[in-house]
Amino acid sequence: MTDSWLVRNLRAIRGRAYPRIIGSKREPSWLFFDIVLPLLTVSAYAYVYKFMTARPEFVGYVVLGGAMTAFWLNILWAMASQLYWEKEIGNLQLYLMAPISRMSILAGMAVGGLFFTTIRAGSTLAIGVLVFGITLNLADPLMLVVVFIATMISLYGMGMMFASLYLLFGREAYHMSNLMTEPVYLASGFYFPVKYLGPWAAAGASFIPITLGLDAIRQLFYPAATQDAFLPVTTELAILSVLCVVFMILAKYSLAFMENLGKSTGRLTLRWQ
Amino acid sequence: MQTAAVETKALSRVFNPKKKKEGKSVTALDSVNLRIEKGELFGLLGPNGAGKTTLLKILSTLLLPTSGHAYVAGHDVAKDFQDVRRKINMVSGGEISGYGLLTVKENLWMFSQFYGIKSKVAKDRIDQMLETFGMSDKKDEKVRTLSTGQRQKMNVIRGFVTDPEILFLDEPTLGLDVNASRVIREYIVNWVGNGTDKTVLLTTHYMAEADQLCNRIAIINGGKILACDTPENLKKLVKMNKTFSLDVTLMNDKGALGSIKGVSNFTFSDLAETNLTRLKFVLEDDSAVSDIVSEVLRSGSKIVSLQKTEPTLEDVFIKMVGKGFE
Amino acid sequence: MRSDLKTFKNAAWLGWQMEANWTDPFLFATYSIVKPIAGTLILVFMFMVVVGSGTDEAFFSYMYVGNALYMYVAEVLFGVTWVIHDDREHYMTLKQIYIAPISFYAYILGRAAIKIAITSVGVLITLAFGILVLDVGINVGEIDWLLLVGSLVLGLGCLCIIGLGLGGITFLTARHGQGINEGIAGIFYVLSGVIFPISILPSWAQSISKVLPVTYWMEAVRRGLEPGVMAELSSDSGIDVTGMAGFSDLFLMLVLLLSAAVSLVLSILIFRYADVTARRKGKIDWTTSY
Repeated sequence: MTDSWLVRNLRAIRGRAYPRIIGSKREPSWLFFDIVLPLLTVSAYAYVYKFMTARPEFVGYVVLGGAMTAFWLNILWAMASQLYWEKEIGNLQLYLMAPISRMSILAGMAVGGLFFTTIRAGSTLAIGVLVFGITLNLADPLMLVVVFIATMISLYGMGMMFASLYLLFGREAYHMSNLMTEPVYLASGFYFPVKYLGPWAAAGASFIPITLGLDAIRQLFYPAATQDAFLPVTTELAILSVLCVVFMILAKYSLAFMENLGKSTGRLTLRWQ
Repeated sequence: MQTAAVETKALSRVFNPKKKKEGKSVTALDSVNLRIEKGELFGLLGPNGAGKTTLLKILSTLLLPTSGHAYVAGHDVAKDFQDVRRKINMVSGGEISGYGLLTVKENLWMFSQFYGIKSKVAKDRIDQMLETFGMSDKKDEKVRTLSTGQRQKMNVIRGFVTDPEILFLDEPTLGLDVNASRVIREYIVNWVGNGTDKTVLLTTHYMAEADQLCNRIAIINGGKILACDTPENLKKLVKMNKTFSLDVTLMNDKGALGSIKGVSNFTFSDLAETNLTRLKFVLEDDSAVSDIVSEVLRSGSKIVSLQKTEPTLEDVFIKMVGKGFE
Repeated sequence: MRSDLKTFKNAAWLGWQMEANWTDPFLFATYSIVKPIAGTLILVFMFMVVVGSGTDEAFFSYMYVGNALYMYVAEVLFGVTWVIHDDREHYMTLKQIYIAPISFYAYILGRAAIKIAITSVGVLITLAFGILVLDVGINVGEIDWLLLVGSLVLGLGCLCIIGLGLGGITFLTARHGQGINEGIAGIFYVLSGVIFPISILPSWAQSISKVLPVTYWMEAVRRGLEPGVMAELSSDSGIDVTGMAGFSDLFLMLVLLLSAAVSLVLSILIFRYADVTARRKGKIDWTTSY
């Protein structure tokens, strides 16, 4: 049984991703909902911009933001607060007893959920472009890929850090997830360029990786709309790279700290808090 | 002295409420000292709220002690928890863990992956254990279709499939039928007894189960260990006489029976409705039984029925705890 | 009847515990204020980014009030179906409640009632914020109370009834079945003139809008709450800006009444069918989470 630490944790990631992937095959109803639902919010905001006769880029920003909500919601609901439900069902204590890193459990959830999330984001983008007749001018696809990867790593690192709260708290953490959905949409500029929040608010919101990631992605698709950009793409990428490291480290320590606190107070496996 | 499988030293755990209005502090464990050797099948008996599950949670690294120490396979559960986790597993009665959407085999495989077991090895073990537990026909069934008993069997298999050194079983036969319980008990005994120093710490409410299976038993109540010994020695704590009674065909000469060595008291009564005589002996020594039987047969009587009563674990429990299981 | 009222009351109490007893009152109050306002501020910024000017324009008030009212749609529809999902999947108490000698409708409606009560606080806070900070065009002296109260009561009743039907569907669907109620709420969001007038939609979409009860509800409540704003929008260059100016107040109320009646019949039929089918297929106590 004594494989190396790395092999054991890779197996754990694979193990935890499995139910997600198999679940998507066995309960295919998600396909319809994860494609149609995001489009409804995107459509509503797009029509608001159309009614206000905004520049066409704004409809594009809404579609891009709507696509990226898939990843933010995956962090909040399919990773962080999933631990709450695992606790209620009794799986959490089995995970915590196993000789693996907590980050592996969360990484497994993230990897398993990535399939849904990518389909959701991709379909929102594709259908949004078709329905609203948006033109996207991507001049640097490689940069787009790099920015996207940096955003995802740092975002998932932040998500793991957030998930650590669930080791200690019960419904409070669940309601915090609920509370964070819309404020993050606001602060991160999901539906309008974050620059218009003002420099200080935008700078503060930049700690949420998706803020800079989304701003950079918009700039890459709309290189001419420089007036809507917050920071140059290269600067945003550099900051995201730093956030990758910072959040992964914080996640590790946060998970360990919260687990220890939960074990001291006896709330680690306490249900119905 | 070799390292114990489990050792606790003045282990205590106090639960404080989040807010004052939620009540007072609860002392779930109070200075528990316990030592379980490798290869033991150790039982922990106690009423509800005695501290059994709290102890198991500390030993399985889900809970920190408030004071004292606990060691599992020589590792401190507070500091060296990763080392502890590599060597243990736990199964609780009435577990609802797992994913309803996965099959039995998939669920078991998934959990095995958290212990770094190679896929092929895990699958072979799972197949073998499903066969042993009579669940081969269920391996491709979704977990949500299982009955309570079948689910519990699956949970028990989950505990064994990682082949831990030490297994914590918290009422593992809860909700199982007689046959299923027997299969599990037999498996546990064989698993411990195959000479590879496997250890089991078992909590149960079934006295007969503890009596039958355990090498030693600890009785816990109010967070304190009240007694810890073999089942035989625990029964000796109860000053209750062993009696041996026989129903025999009419026996005229009973004089010799009272003077048999190892018999401290002898009474008899005639049972008019059956035309039999009931002989009752209070035994000091079990070996007197054969002499009693010989004497009865020598006298020409025939033995119709015989019964031996002695203190049970339940008697021990009631004496120690002051009540039966609620 | 008395037993149903008792069930309703107990269910409402349970709903309150589920919603509120996870934290102390101060934090709960903060949560109850921040959540609705944050959602609204997205629209505020969207407006200001494009229009550039202040928020005392008629369209801003139209959008703001619609968004505030929409909280009822989302919370009631989601809340009713969530009750069944939550009880079944997470607390695993659905089967116990189901087999108890109570009216399950009364239980569901009790849980929905608390949702409405809590949402009302959020709506009021949002509207108050709008009036005090953002110059939303609600003048208390101009409110048409009869129209406002009447349309609110009818509309909320209609939403509860639709929620009941969706709740029935939840019996038969896996965890992604929550998507059904989110989908219905989302359709209302896009097609019912919540944050933009239906006149901007393609004509085929407007046809759909005009059969949705929430479209009439939004229009009726707005006319009751901010008659000045609605009059300003209606008189803009003679164009029917909202797409609903041609309907009288009475017509709106009649449509709401008819919608409630039709929804009642449909929802009860759907619920009964789903109930029987769930029992037949053993889905009352199944768990589907992964």
